[in-house]
Amino acid sequence: MDIDDILADLDAATVPQETLDIQLLTRLWVAERVAPELLVWPDDLISRITERMSAQVELIEEQTATMDPKSSFGLIVLQTEMERVKFLVRSYLRARLAKVDAHPLYYNEGEPAGRLSVEEKQYLTAHQTLLEAHYGASFLGQFPAQLQRMDDPAGGISMVETPDAERAVFVRALRDAGLVRMPGRDESWDVKRGDVRVVRWSAVRDLVEIGDLELI
Amino acid sequence: MALPLPPGLTPAEVAFLCEMELVTVIPRQKLDSLHLLGGPVPVLQPPLRNNVPLWLALLLKKQRRANIVPPPWLNVESLSAILDHETERAPEDFSPPPKLPPIGDESSIISPPFLPTSTADGQPNALPYHWMELGEILLEAASDDFEDVDQVRRLLRDLREARLAKLRSGIDALDSGGGKPMNGIGGMEVAEGRSFICGVIDSLRKIGAAKEMAKREREDEDRTGYQGTADDEDEDMDMLR
Repeated sequence: MDIDDILADLDAATVPQETLDIQLLTRLWVAERVAPELLVWPDDLISRITERMSAQVELIEEQTATMDPKSSFGLIVLQTEMERVKFLVRSYLRARLAKVDAHPLYYNEGEPAGRLSVEEKQYLTAHQTLLEAHYGASFLGQFPAQLQRMDDPAGGISMVETPDAERAVFVRALRDAGLVRMPGRDESWDVKRGDVRVVRWSAVRDLVEIGDLELI
Repeated sequence: MALPLPPGLTPAEVAFLCEMELVTVIPRQKLDSLHLLGGPVPVLQPPLRNNVPLWLALLLKKQRRANIVPPPWLNVESLSAILDHETERAPEDFSPPPKLPPIGDESSIISPPFLPTSTADGQPNALPYHWMELGEILLEAASDDFEDVDQVRRLLRDLREARLAKLRSGIDALDSGGGKPMNGIGGMEVAEGRSFICGVIDSLRKIGAAKEMAKREREDEDRTGYQGTADDEDEDMDMLR
């Protein structure tokens, strides 16, 4: 692969797509580490980044094999960056997994289930099947039939625990977004670009999703 | 496999973010252009200055392949002026953050750590989002590129203390709906204050939940014109239990 060719393809004035992708992944990682509930899975973004990562691994292996002493420092840079991106992706996935593990039944169906990736869904289903079989065999099987469910909504209170959507989060405004009602307060927040506030997640969730605000 | 950490970034993760900030380097050796996952790195040709991410600058510095140009805000003169602003002129608020560049592409608005606030042409009279981390890292790794390391270090410490006091005084303004605006707060300060600030807000919310619900019900009733009965009081008590 010739680097000059790649560079020639890039318009100097525009920011290359891969830079934008890494910036977006960074933002999503911070958001996922901070938000009380699982956010939507960015399928396209992750597949683009993992594709580039495997191409980069090949490039690194190729260069390691030739062992040109002149390019060895370049190789160190490539590897260092690779490790950084790997950390980002891994930490992002692990943060998501922690949320799925915390509220498995909540993410199992309905709207919340749509935020999971295919792999996360597989994991959740497999894990829940195992758990249910185990609970059934060890103690649930001994209960009367009507008390065996783990997601019983009867009696006005659902057994399925949900994430606390009212938790306070730090947000930063990326653009002006007008007035936001702040539950629990009489005043509204007139969102101006660059503002930093602590607010309830439920009040800003929609604005974070469309990209007017970002979590910090 | 799942991440065993509580919500919010750890200090190490904030430092990791900070390492994506762009800084200016003066290369001492030629380095060919590299195509990284995060985009291409320009050819480094001494003595031409170039902007590279901090992690790369640190790598170059460690190998003595480049010198780092300290950001314009990270020197005695700028820091003294900012400290003066923090303590004398605006003792209530954080000093204003660097001016935001105009929004270019609507679909991708950049924010810290990707704003070029700490390159050689950054704004000299404002602290960027990652000021504390960046200052620490640069003083540690590139102290020979500074003119007056001890003085800069002392000013950074003073700034940190002045701002920490503000962060603490902001706690009085917290209630169940959030706190006062915190424009200009730094990344490490968010990480430091998060668990306490969010904990206070969440606890206040739980304490006031019954009251808030009653208020919302009253508002709904006002809207529908329904007159509440004496039972409302009892319901509130039930919720508290």
